[in-house]
Amino acid sequence: MSSLQAIQQQLLHAVLAADSIPPPVISGNAIASAGDRLAIYQHGYRVRLRDALKIEFGGLQCMAGKAFENLLDKYVAAHPSEHYNIRWYGAGLAAFLDYAHPWRNKPQLAEMARLDWAISTAFDAADESSKDIAELSAVPPEAWAGLRLSLQKNLQIVTCLFNAAAYRRAADRGDTRPHLRRFDTPRQILVWRDATTVHYRTLENDEWQVLVAALRGETFAALCELLAAHRGEAAAMPRMVALLQHWLAAGMVQGWTL
Amino acid sequence: MAMTSNERPHSLPYLGYGLGLRVEHYEALLADPGRVEWLEIVSENYMVQGGLPLIWLDRFRERFPLVMHGVSLSIGSTDPLDEDYLSRLQALAQRVEPAWVSDHLCWTGVQGVNLHDLMPLPYTEEALEHVVSRVKRVQDTLKRRILLENVSSYVTFADSQLTEWEFLGAVAERADCLILLDINNVHVSAMNHGFSSMDYLRGIPAERVQQFHLAGYEQGEQLIIDTHDAPVSNAVWDLYVEAVRHFGRVSTMIERDDNFPPLAELRAELEHARALAEPLLQAAA
Ligand SMILES: [Fe+2]
Repeated sequence: MSSLQAIQQQLLHAVLAADSIPPPVISGNAIASAGDRLAIYQHGYRVRLRDALKIEFGGLQCMAGKAFENLLDKYVAAHPSEHYNIRWYGAGLAAFLDYAHPWRNKPQLAEMARLDWAISTAFDAADESSKDIAELSAVPPEAWAGLRLSLQKNLQIVTCLFNAAAYRRAADRGDTRPHLRRFDTPRQILVWRDATTVHYRTLENDEWQVLVAALRGETFAALCELLAAHRGEAAAMPRMVALLQHWLAAGMVQGWTL
Repeated sequence: MAMTSNERPHSLPYLGYGLGLRVEHYEALLADPGRVEWLEIVSENYMVQGGLPLIWLDRFRERFPLVMHGVSLSIGSTDPLDEDYLSRLQALAQRVEPAWVSDHLCWTGVQGVNLHDLMPLPYTEEALEHVVSRVKRVQDTLKRRILLENVSSYVTFADSQLTEWEFLGAVAERADCLILLDINNVHVSAMNHGFSSMDYLRGIPAERVQQFHLAGYEQGEQLIIDTHDAPVSNAVWDLYVEAVRHFGRVSTMIERDDNFPPLAELRAELEHARALAEPLLQAAA
Protein backbone atom coordinates (compact mmCIF):
# COMPACT_ATOMS: atom_id res chain seq x y z
CA MET A 1 0.00 0.00 0.00
CA SER A 2 1.30 3.46 -0.85
CA SER A 3 1.73 5.84 2.04
CA LEU A 4 -0.83 8.19 0.48
CA GLN A 5 -3.35 5.38 0.46
CA ALA A 6 -2.54 4.48 4.06
CA ILE A 7 -2.95 8.09 5.17
CA GLN A 8 -6.31 8.40 3.45
CA GLN A 9 -7.60 5.13 4.88
CA GLN A 10 -6.52 6.00 8.40
CA LEU A 11 -8.07 9.44 8.27
CA LEU A 12 -11.29 8.14 6.70
CA HIS A 13 -11.71 5.49 9.37
CA ALA A 14 -10.98 7.99 12.12
CA VAL A 15 -13.72 10.28 10.75
CA LEU A 16 -16.22 7.42 10.44
CA ALA A 17 -15.42 5.95 13.85
CA ALA A 18 -15.84 9.24 15.68
CA ASP A 19 -12.93 7.93 17.74
CA SER A 20 -11.35 10.57 19.91
CA ILE A 21 -7.87 9.14 19.33
CA PRO A 22 -6.42 10.68 16.18
CA PRO A 23 -4.32 8.44 13.92
CA PRO A 24 -0.57 9.12 14.12
CA VAL A 25 -0.44 10.39 10.52
CA ILE A 26 -2.02 13.72 11.46
CA SER A 27 -0.30 16.26 13.63
CA GLY A 28 -1.39 19.00 15.99
CA ASN A 29 0.42 22.16 17.04
CA ALA A 30 0.20 24.95 19.60
CA ILE A 31 -3.00 26.25 18.04
CA ALA A 32 -4.96 23.00 18.42
CA SER A 33 -4.31 19.34 19.15
CA ALA A 34 -4.62 16.62 16.51
CA GLY A 35 -7.74 15.37 18.32
CA ASP A 36 -9.47 18.75 18.22
CA ARG A 37 -8.59 19.06 14.54
CA LEU A 38 -9.94 15.62 13.70
CA ALA A 39 -13.14 16.41 15.64
CA ILE A 40 -14.05 19.09 13.09
CA TYR A 41 -14.12 16.50 10.30
CA GLN A 42 -16.00 13.99 12.46
CA HIS A 43 -18.66 16.52 13.33
CA GLY A 44 -18.91 17.94 9.82
CA TYR A 45 -19.41 14.50 8.27
CA ARG A 46 -22.42 13.73 10.47
CA VAL A 47 -23.99 17.16 10.08
CA ARG A 48 -23.76 17.04 6.28
CA LEU A 49 -25.37 13.63 5.97
CA ARG A 50 -28.13 14.48 8.43
CA ASP A 51 -28.85 17.76 6.64
CA ALA A 52 -29.09 15.92 3.32
CA LEU A 53 -31.65 13.51 4.81
CA LYS A 54 -33.70 16.31 6.34
CA ILE A 55 -34.24 17.81 2.90
CA GLU A 56 -35.68 14.56 1.48
CA PHE A 57 -37.64 13.14 4.42
CA GLY A 58 -40.09 15.83 5.48
CA GLY A 59 -42.91 13.34 6.06
CA LEU A 60 -40.70 11.14 8.23
CA GLN A 61 -39.57 14.12 10.28
CA CYS A 62 -43.22 15.00 10.88
CA MET A 63 -44.17 11.43 11.78
CA ALA A 64 -41.14 10.56 13.94
CA GLY A 65 -41.23 13.87 15.84
CA LYS A 66 -38.61 13.98 18.60
CA ALA A 67 -37.27 10.56 17.60
CA PHE A 68 -36.22 11.87 14.17
CA GLU A 69 -32.78 13.12 15.24
CA ASN A 70 -31.91 9.81 16.89
CA LEU A 71 -33.14 7.92 13.86
CA LEU A 72 -30.88 9.98 11.60
CA ASP A 73 -27.90 9.46 13.92
CA LYS A 74 -28.38 5.69 13.83
CA TYR A 75 -28.69 5.59 10.05
CA VAL A 76 -25.60 7.75 9.60
CA ALA A 77 -23.64 5.54 12.02
CA ALA A 78 -24.76 2.37 10.21
CA HIS A 79 -24.45 3.60 6.61
CA PRO A 80 -21.37 5.28 5.19
CA SER A 81 -22.24 7.16 2.02
CA GLU A 82 -21.19 5.34 -1.12
CA HIS A 83 -22.33 7.74 -3.81
CA TYR A 84 -20.47 10.81 -4.99
CA ASN A 85 -23.71 12.77 -4.93
CA ILE A 86 -25.03 13.28 -1.40
CA ARG A 87 -28.49 13.57 -2.95
CA TRP A 88 -28.65 9.73 -3.08
CA TYR A 89 -27.71 9.15 0.55
CA GLY A 90 -31.33 8.51 1.58
CA ALA A 91 -31.77 5.63 -0.88
CA GLY A 92 -31.29 3.03 1.88
CA LEU A 93 -33.24 4.69 4.69
CA ALA A 94 -36.56 2.85 4.22
CA ALA A 95 -34.79 -0.53 4.12
CA PHE A 96 -32.83 0.41 7.25
CA LEU A 97 -36.05 1.25 9.09
CA ASP A 98 -37.50 -2.09 7.96
CA TYR A 99 -34.86 -4.14 9.74
CA ALA A 100 -33.14 -2.03 12.40
CA HIS A 101 -34.21 -2.09 16.04
CA PRO A 102 -36.32 -0.37 17.36
CA TRP A 103 -37.68 1.10 14.14
CA ARG A 104 -38.78 -2.24 12.70
CA ASN A 105 -41.45 -2.39 15.41
CA LYS A 106 -42.98 0.77 13.97
CA PRO A 107 -43.59 -0.15 10.33
CA GLN A 108 -45.25 3.20 9.70
CA LEU A 109 -41.76 4.78 9.70
CA ALA A 110 -40.36 2.63 6.88
CA GLU A 111 -43.57 3.19 4.96
CA MET A 112 -43.27 6.94 5.44
CA ALA A 113 -39.62 6.89 4.33
CA ARG A 114 -40.64 4.94 1.22
CA LEU A 115 -43.25 7.55 0.29
CA ASP A 116 -40.85 10.45 0.96
CA TRP A 117 -38.20 8.78 -1.21
CA ALA A 118 -40.63 8.10 -4.06
CA ILE A 119 -41.52 11.81 -4.06
CA SER A 120 -37.86 12.75 -3.92
CA THR A 121 -36.84 10.54 -6.85
CA ALA A 122 -39.81 11.64 -8.99
CA PHE A 123 -38.63 15.24 -8.61
CA ASP A 124 -35.51 14.90 -10.78
CA ALA A 125 -36.37 11.77 -12.77
CA ALA A 126 -35.83 11.91 -16.53
CA ASP A 127 -38.09 14.24 -18.50
CA GLU A 128 -40.78 12.52 -20.56
CA SER A 129 -43.30 13.96 -22.95
CA SER A 130 -47.01 13.36 -22.34
CA LYS A 131 -49.99 12.98 -24.64
CA ASP A 132 -53.35 14.70 -24.38
CA ILE A 133 -56.92 13.63 -25.04
CA ALA A 134 -56.99 15.06 -28.57
CA GLU A 135 -54.09 12.84 -29.61
CA LEU A 136 -55.74 9.74 -28.16
CA SER A 137 -59.03 10.59 -29.89
CA ALA A 138 -57.27 10.25 -33.22
CA VAL A 139 -56.84 6.49 -32.66
CA PRO A 140 -59.23 4.71 -35.11
CA PRO A 141 -62.08 2.83 -33.34
CA GLU A 142 -61.02 -0.60 -34.64
CA ALA A 143 -57.55 -0.19 -33.07
CA TRP A 144 -58.77 0.45 -29.52
CA ALA A 145 -59.09 -3.14 -28.33
CA GLY A 146 -55.38 -3.81 -28.96
CA LEU A 147 -54.09 -0.44 -27.69
CA ARG A 148 -51.38 -0.62 -25.03
CA LEU A 149 -50.61 2.46 -22.96
CA SER A 150 -47.08 3.62 -22.16
CA LEU A 151 -47.19 5.36 -18.81
CA GLN A 152 -44.57 7.75 -17.44
CA LYS A 153 -41.51 5.93 -16.14
CA ASN A 154 -41.35 8.19 -13.07
CA LEU A 155 -44.70 6.85 -11.88
CA GLN A 156 -44.46 4.89 -8.60
CA ILE A 157 -47.00 3.14 -6.38
CA VAL A 158 -46.36 2.96 -2.63
CA THR A 159 -48.46 0.56 -0.54
CA CYS A 160 -49.53 2.18 2.71
CA LEU A 161 -50.99 0.53 5.83
CA PHE A 162 -50.93 3.90 7.58
CA ASN A 163 -51.87 7.48 6.75
CA ALA A 164 -48.32 8.34 5.65
CA ALA A 165 -49.61 10.68 2.93
CA ALA A 166 -51.32 12.81 5.58
CA TYR A 167 -47.98 13.32 7.37
CA ARG A 168 -46.27 14.26 4.15
CA ARG A 169 -49.01 16.71 3.32
CA ALA A 170 -48.77 18.25 6.80
CA ALA A 171 -45.00 18.58 6.39
CA ASP A 172 -45.34 20.20 2.95
CA ARG A 173 -47.94 22.68 4.16
CA GLY A 174 -46.52 23.31 7.61
CA ASP A 175 -49.76 22.03 9.19
CA THR A 176 -50.00 20.43 12.61
CA ARG A 177 -48.99 16.80 12.92
CA PRO A 178 -51.86 14.38 12.18
CA HIS A 179 -52.77 11.41 14.38
CA LEU A 180 -51.49 8.04 13.28
CA ARG A 181 -54.15 5.89 11.61
CA ARG A 182 -53.85 2.28 10.55
CA PHE A 183 -56.12 1.35 7.63
CA ASP A 184 -58.25 -1.82 7.65
CA THR A 185 -56.96 -2.67 4.20
CA PRO A 186 -53.77 -1.34 2.58
CA ARG A 187 -54.07 1.70 0.34
CA GLN A 188 -52.07 2.42 -2.75
CA ILE A 189 -50.51 5.86 -3.12
CA LEU A 190 -49.62 6.93 -6.63
CA VAL A 191 -46.60 9.23 -6.99
CA TRP A 192 -45.86 10.89 -10.33
CA ARG A 193 -44.52 14.05 -11.87
CA ASP A 194 -46.55 16.19 -14.24
CA ALA A 195 -44.00 18.35 -16.09
CA THR A 196 -42.22 19.87 -13.08
CA THR A 197 -44.66 19.21 -10.24
CA VAL A 198 -44.61 16.03 -8.16
CA HIS A 199 -48.05 14.78 -7.11
CA TYR A 200 -49.27 11.96 -4.88
CA ARG A 201 -52.78 10.66 -4.32
CA THR A 202 -54.61 7.60 -3.06
CA LEU A 203 -55.78 5.23 -5.79
CA GLU A 204 -59.20 3.65 -5.69
CA ASN A 205 -59.00 -0.10 -5.69
CA ASP A 206 -60.21 -0.59 -9.28
CA GLU A 207 -58.01 2.21 -10.58
CA TRP A 208 -55.01 0.64 -8.88
CA GLN A 209 -55.66 -2.73 -10.50
CA VAL A 210 -56.17 -1.24 -13.94
CA LEU A 211 -53.09 0.93 -13.59
CA VAL A 212 -50.94 -2.04 -12.57
CA ALA A 213 -52.31 -3.99 -15.54
CA ALA A 214 -51.57 -1.06 -17.87
CA LEU A 215 -48.02 -0.87 -16.49
CA ARG A 216 -47.66 -4.59 -17.24
CA GLY A 217 -48.57 -3.77 -20.87
CA GLU A 218 -52.07 -5.30 -20.97
CA THR A 219 -54.33 -4.25 -23.85
CA PHE A 220 -57.19 -1.80 -23.59
CA ALA A 221 -59.65 -4.72 -23.97
CA ALA A 222 -58.05 -6.50 -21.01
CA LEU A 223 -58.23 -3.33 -18.88
CA CYS A 224 -61.95 -3.04 -19.67
CA GLU A 225 -62.49 -6.65 -18.67
CA LEU A 226 -60.81 -6.00 -15.35
CA LEU A 227 -63.14 -3.08 -14.74
CA ALA A 228 -66.17 -5.16 -15.72
CA ALA A 229 -65.23 -7.64 -13.01
CA HIS A 230 -65.26 -4.78 -10.48
CA ARG A 231 -68.21 -2.70 -11.62
CA GLY A 232 -70.24 -4.81 -14.04
CA GLU A 233 -70.32 -4.72 -17.85
CA ALA A 234 -72.41 -1.58 -18.16
CA ALA A 235 -70.21 0.56 -15.90
CA ALA A 236 -66.87 -0.68 -17.24
CA MET A 237 -66.55 1.46 -20.35
CA PRO A 238 -67.62 4.80 -18.80
CA ARG A 239 -65.23 4.14 -15.92
CA MET A 240 -62.38 3.31 -18.30
CA VAL A 241 -63.02 6.51 -20.25
CA ALA A 242 -63.08 8.53 -17.04
CA LEU A 243 -59.80 7.00 -15.86
CA LEU A 244 -58.14 7.61 -19.21
CA GLN A 245 -59.23 11.23 -19.24
CA HIS A 246 -57.93 11.61 -15.72
CA TRP A 247 -54.55 10.05 -16.51
CA LEU A 248 -54.11 12.10 -19.66
CA ALA A 249 -55.01 15.34 -17.91
CA ALA A 250 -52.56 14.49 -15.11
CA GLY A 251 -49.70 14.03 -17.58
CA MET A 252 -49.32 10.32 -16.74
CA VAL A 253 -49.54 8.98 -20.30
CA GLN A 254 -46.43 9.08 -22.44
CA GLY A 255 -47.91 7.34 -25.47
CA TRP A 256 -49.29 4.03 -26.74
CA THR A 257 -48.71 1.29 -29.20
CA LEU A 258 -51.42 -0.11 -31.47
CA MET B 1 1.18 44.95 -9.97
CA ALA B 2 2.41 41.53 -10.97
CA MET B 3 0.02 40.73 -13.77
CA THR B 4 -2.76 42.10 -15.86
CA SER B 5 -5.22 39.81 -17.52
CA ASN B 6 -3.77 40.10 -21.00
CA GLU B 7 -0.41 38.87 -19.73
CA ARG B 8 -1.91 35.56 -18.64
CA PRO B 9 -0.60 32.89 -20.97
CA HIS B 10 -3.37 30.45 -20.08
CA SER B 11 -6.09 33.01 -20.22
CA LEU B 12 -9.73 32.06 -20.19
CA PRO B 13 -12.24 34.92 -20.48
CA TYR B 14 -12.41 37.52 -17.73
CA LEU B 15 -16.01 37.45 -16.42
CA GLY B 16 -16.06 40.25 -13.86
CA TYR B 17 -18.04 40.00 -10.62
CA GLY B 18 -20.35 37.03 -10.02
CA LEU B 19 -22.24 34.92 -7.53
CA GLY B 20 -22.65 31.24 -6.73
CA LEU B 21 -26.08 30.19 -8.01
CA ARG B 22 -28.27 28.72 -5.25
CA VAL B 23 -31.92 27.59 -5.34
CA GLU B 24 -32.77 30.15 -2.66
CA HIS B 25 -32.00 32.99 -5.07
CA TYR B 26 -33.38 31.63 -8.35
CA GLU B 27 -36.43 33.89 -8.53
CA ALA B 28 -34.70 36.98 -7.19
CA LEU B 29 -31.78 36.65 -9.60
CA LEU B 30 -34.00 36.44 -12.64
CA ALA B 31 -36.21 39.27 -11.41
CA ASP B 32 -33.37 41.66 -10.61
CA PRO B 33 -29.81 40.54 -11.34
CA GLY B 34 -28.43 44.01 -10.63
CA ARG B 35 -24.77 44.07 -11.58
CA VAL B 36 -24.22 40.32 -11.19
CA GLU B 37 -22.18 39.53 -14.31
CA TRP B 38 -21.82 35.75 -14.14
CA LEU B 39 -22.83 32.73 -12.11
CA GLU B 40 -21.08 29.65 -10.79
CA ILE B 41 -23.20 26.49 -10.56
CA VAL B 42 -22.47 23.49 -8.35
CA SER B 43 -22.11 20.79 -11.00
CA GLU B 44 -23.55 17.94 -8.93
CA ASN B 45 -26.84 19.81 -8.41
CA TYR B 46 -27.51 19.51 -12.12
CA MET B 47 -26.15 16.01 -12.69
CA VAL B 48 -29.72 14.70 -12.56
CA GLN B 49 -31.89 13.14 -15.22
CA GLY B 50 -34.54 15.84 -15.54
CA GLY B 51 -37.14 17.96 -13.82
CA LEU B 52 -36.92 21.44 -12.37
CA PRO B 53 -33.15 21.65 -11.76
CA LEU B 54 -32.42 21.43 -15.50
CA ILE B 55 -35.25 23.80 -16.43
CA TRP B 56 -33.81 26.45 -14.10
CA LEU B 57 -30.34 25.75 -15.40
CA ASP B 58 -31.46 26.45 -18.98
CA ARG B 59 -33.10 29.70 -17.89
CA PHE B 60 -29.91 30.95 -16.26
CA ARG B 61 -27.79 29.77 -19.15
CA GLU B 62 -29.75 32.10 -21.45
CA ARG B 63 -29.13 35.09 -19.21
CA PHE B 64 -25.64 34.72 -17.69
CA PRO B 65 -22.19 33.38 -18.51
CA LEU B 66 -21.86 30.25 -16.35
CA VAL B 67 -18.95 28.36 -14.85
CA MET B 68 -19.16 24.87 -13.38
CA HIS B 69 -17.83 24.11 -9.90
CA GLY B 70 -17.77 20.50 -8.69
CA VAL B 71 -17.30 18.99 -5.25
CA SER B 72 -16.94 15.28 -6.07
CA LEU B 73 -14.07 14.87 -8.49
CA SER B 74 -11.89 13.67 -5.61
CA ILE B 75 -8.77 14.39 -7.63
CA GLY B 76 -6.47 13.39 -4.77
CA SER B 77 -8.11 10.10 -3.80
CA THR B 78 -6.21 6.83 -4.16
CA ASP B 79 -9.46 5.22 -5.35
CA PRO B 80 -9.70 5.05 -9.15
CA LEU B 81 -11.26 8.08 -10.83
CA ASP B 82 -15.04 7.58 -10.97
CA GLU B 83 -15.68 7.10 -14.68
CA ASP B 84 -19.44 7.44 -14.27
CA TYR B 85 -18.95 10.76 -12.54
CA LEU B 86 -16.53 11.96 -15.20
CA SER B 87 -18.84 11.09 -18.07
CA ARG B 88 -21.78 12.84 -16.37
CA LEU B 89 -19.59 15.86 -15.74
CA GLN B 90 -18.56 15.87 -19.37
CA ALA B 91 -22.20 15.60 -20.49
CA LEU B 92 -23.16 18.52 -18.25
CA ALA B 93 -20.27 20.59 -19.62
CA GLN B 94 -21.53 19.90 -23.13
CA ARG B 95 -24.99 21.11 -22.16
CA VAL B 96 -23.86 24.18 -20.21
CA GLU B 97 -20.81 25.18 -22.28
CA PRO B 98 -19.33 26.89 -19.22
CA ALA B 99 -16.50 29.40 -19.43
CA TRP B 100 -14.57 26.88 -17.28
CA VAL B 101 -14.88 23.85 -15.01
CA SER B 102 -13.41 23.69 -11.52
CA ASP B 103 -13.15 21.40 -8.50
CA HIS B 104 -10.99 21.22 -5.38
CA LEU B 105 -7.45 20.17 -4.60
CA CYS B 106 -8.53 17.48 -2.15
CA TRP B 107 -9.93 13.97 -1.79
CA THR B 108 -13.50 13.24 -0.72
CA GLY B 109 -13.26 9.55 0.15
CA VAL B 110 -11.45 6.27 -0.29
CA GLN B 111 -12.38 2.56 -0.35
CA GLY B 112 -15.68 3.45 -1.97
CA VAL B 113 -16.82 5.56 0.99
CA ASN B 114 -17.60 9.22 0.45
CA LEU B 115 -17.14 11.70 3.29
CA HIS B 116 -18.72 14.51 1.23
CA ASP B 117 -15.98 16.74 2.56
CA LEU B 118 -12.95 18.39 1.02
CA MET B 119 -10.18 16.43 2.75
CA PRO B 120 -6.67 17.85 2.59
CA LEU B 121 -3.73 15.95 1.10
CA PRO B 122 -0.31 15.36 2.59
CA TYR B 123 2.03 17.64 0.70
CA THR B 124 4.47 15.00 -0.50
CA GLU B 125 6.15 14.17 -3.79
CA GLU B 126 4.07 10.99 -3.94
CA ALA B 127 0.77 12.88 -3.59
CA LEU B 128 1.97 15.46 -6.08
CA GLU B 129 2.70 12.87 -8.76
CA HIS B 130 -0.59 11.14 -8.09
CA VAL B 131 -2.65 14.32 -8.41
CA VAL B 132 -0.77 15.54 -11.47
CA SER B 133 -1.39 12.34 -13.41
CA ARG B 134 -5.09 12.44 -12.53
CA VAL B 135 -5.51 16.10 -13.46
CA LYS B 136 -3.98 15.29 -16.84
CA ARG B 137 -6.45 12.45 -17.35
CA VAL B 138 -9.41 14.62 -16.38
CA GLN B 139 -8.24 17.41 -18.68
CA ASP B 140 -7.81 14.93 -21.54
CA THR B 141 -11.34 13.63 -20.95
CA LEU B 142 -12.96 17.05 -20.67
CA LYS B 143 -10.73 18.48 -23.41
CA ARG B 144 -10.16 21.63 -21.40
CA ARG B 145 -7.95 22.91 -18.60
CA ILE B 146 -9.60 22.68 -15.21
CA LEU B 147 -9.27 24.99 -12.22
CA LEU B 148 -8.40 23.54 -8.83
CA GLU B 149 -9.41 25.36 -5.66
CA ASN B 150 -7.47 25.49 -2.41
CA VAL B 151 -9.57 24.09 0.45
CA SER B 152 -9.81 25.12 4.08
CA SER B 153 -8.10 22.53 6.23
CA TYR B 154 -7.88 21.68 9.90
CA VAL B 155 -5.30 18.92 9.90
CA THR B 156 -1.77 18.67 8.60
CA PHE B 157 0.16 15.47 8.02
CA ALA B 158 3.39 14.41 9.65
CA ASP B 159 4.58 13.29 6.18
CA SER B 160 4.22 16.68 4.47
CA GLN B 161 7.44 18.01 2.93
CA LEU B 162 6.06 20.99 1.02
CA THR B 163 3.96 23.97 2.03
CA GLU B 164 0.41 24.05 0.74
CA TRP B 165 1.22 26.82 -1.73
CA GLU B 166 4.27 24.98 -3.03
CA PHE B 167 2.11 21.92 -3.55
CA LEU B 168 -0.73 23.83 -5.26
CA GLY B 169 1.75 25.68 -7.47
CA ALA B 170 3.55 22.47 -8.43
CA VAL B 171 0.28 20.71 -9.30
CA ALA B 172 -0.76 23.63 -11.50
CA GLU B 173 2.62 23.85 -13.26
CA ARG B 174 3.19 20.15 -13.81
CA ALA B 175 -0.39 19.27 -14.78
CA ASP B 176 -0.82 22.53 -16.68
CA CYS B 177 -4.06 23.38 -14.90
CA LEU B 178 -5.36 26.65 -13.47
CA ILE B 179 -6.11 27.89 -9.96
CA LEU B 180 -9.33 28.95 -8.29
CA LEU B 181 -8.07 30.84 -5.27
CA ASP B 182 -10.51 30.94 -2.38
CA ILE B 183 -9.32 33.95 -0.41
CA ASN B 184 -11.34 32.90 2.63
CA ASN B 185 -9.82 29.42 2.58
CA VAL B 186 -6.30 30.88 2.46
CA HIS B 187 -7.13 32.95 5.54
CA VAL B 188 -8.81 30.07 7.40
CA SER B 189 -5.93 27.68 6.77
CA ALA B 190 -3.34 30.35 7.56
CA MET B 191 -4.99 31.00 10.94
CA ASN B 192 -5.47 27.32 11.70
CA HIS B 193 -1.98 26.22 10.78
CA GLY B 194 -0.08 29.38 11.61
CA PHE B 195 1.33 30.29 8.21
CA SER B 196 1.38 33.66 6.45
CA SER B 197 -1.39 34.32 3.92
CA MET B 198 0.95 36.67 2.07
CA ASP B 199 3.53 33.91 1.68
CA TYR B 200 0.71 31.87 0.16
CA LEU B 201 -0.27 34.57 -2.35
CA ARG B 202 3.34 35.18 -3.34
CA GLY B 203 4.09 31.47 -3.54
CA ILE B 204 1.66 30.40 -6.25
CA PRO B 205 2.09 30.96 -10.00
CA ALA B 206 0.21 34.24 -10.50
CA GLU B 207 -0.46 33.71 -14.19
CA ARG B 208 -2.47 30.58 -13.42
CA VAL B 209 -4.95 32.22 -11.01
CA GLN B 210 -8.19 32.40 -12.98
CA GLN B 211 -10.87 32.93 -10.33
CA PHE B 212 -11.35 34.17 -6.75
CA HIS B 213 -13.89 32.97 -4.20
CA LEU B 214 -14.86 35.24 -1.32
CA ALA B 215 -16.77 33.77 1.62
CA GLY B 216 -17.29 33.89 5.35
CA TYR B 217 -16.17 31.75 8.28
CA GLU B 218 -17.06 31.08 11.88
CA GLN B 219 -14.73 31.55 14.84
CA GLY B 220 -14.51 28.28 16.80
CA GLU B 221 -12.87 27.85 20.19
CA GLN B 222 -9.37 27.29 18.89
CA LEU B 223 -9.75 26.95 15.15
CA ILE B 224 -11.72 28.95 12.65
CA ILE B 225 -14.23 26.97 10.69
CA ASP B 226 -14.90 27.53 7.01
CA THR B 227 -18.68 27.51 7.00
CA HIS B 228 -19.23 29.62 3.87
CA ASP B 229 -22.41 30.68 5.72
CA ALA B 230 -21.55 34.20 6.88
CA PRO B 231 -20.65 37.57 5.38
CA VAL B 232 -17.06 38.00 4.18
CA SER B 233 -14.94 39.01 7.18
CA ASN B 234 -12.77 42.13 7.39
CA ALA B 235 -9.62 40.02 7.43
CA VAL B 236 -10.68 38.37 4.17
CA TRP B 237 -11.52 41.74 2.57
CA ASP B 238 -8.03 42.90 3.51
CA LEU B 239 -6.52 39.81 1.98
CA TYR B 240 -8.65 40.30 -1.14
CA VAL B 241 -7.14 43.77 -1.59
CA GLU B 242 -3.67 42.22 -1.35
CA ALA B 243 -4.69 39.55 -3.85
CA VAL B 244 -5.96 42.15 -6.33
CA ARG B 245 -2.68 44.07 -5.94
CA HIS B 246 -0.73 40.90 -6.54
CA PHE B 247 -2.73 39.06 -9.20
CA GLY B 248 -4.46 41.92 -11.02
CA ARG B 249 -7.80 41.45 -12.72
CA VAL B 250 -9.30 38.09 -11.74
CA SER B 251 -12.97 37.02 -12.03
CA THR B 252 -14.36 37.32 -8.51
CA MET B 253 -17.45 35.92 -6.81
CA ILE B 254 -19.17 35.67 -3.46
CA GLU B 255 -19.71 32.06 -2.45
CA ARG B 256 -22.45 31.45 0.13
CA ASP B 257 -23.33 27.84 0.84
CA ASP B 258 -25.72 28.09 3.78
CA ASN B 259 -27.65 30.53 5.96
CA PHE B 260 -28.76 32.36 2.83
CA PRO B 261 -29.52 36.06 3.22
CA PRO B 262 -31.77 37.92 0.76
CA LEU B 263 -30.05 38.31 -2.61
CA ALA B 264 -29.64 42.04 -2.00
CA GLU B 265 -27.15 41.31 0.77
CA LEU B 266 -24.95 39.20 -1.48
CA ARG B 267 -25.20 41.77 -4.23
CA ALA B 268 -24.05 44.40 -1.73
CA GLU B 269 -21.04 42.23 -0.83
CA LEU B 270 -20.26 41.87 -4.50
CA GLU B 271 -20.44 45.66 -4.94
CA HIS B 272 -18.05 45.99 -2.02
CA ALA B 273 -15.59 43.69 -3.80
CA ARG B 274 -15.92 45.80 -6.93
CA ALA B 275 -15.42 49.02 -4.97
CA LEU B 276 -12.25 47.65 -3.39
CA ALA B 277 -10.76 46.20 -6.56
CA GLU B 278 -11.62 48.65 -9.34
CA PRO B 279 -9.69 51.70 -8.05
CA LEU B 280 -6.58 49.53 -7.63
CA LEU B 281 -6.96 48.01 -11.08
CA GLN B 282 -7.61 51.35 -12.75
CA ALA B 283 -4.66 52.97 -10.99
CA ALA B 284 -2.45 50.14 -12.20
CA ALA B 285 -3.71 50.28 -15.78
FE1 LIG C 1 -14.64 28.15 -2.32
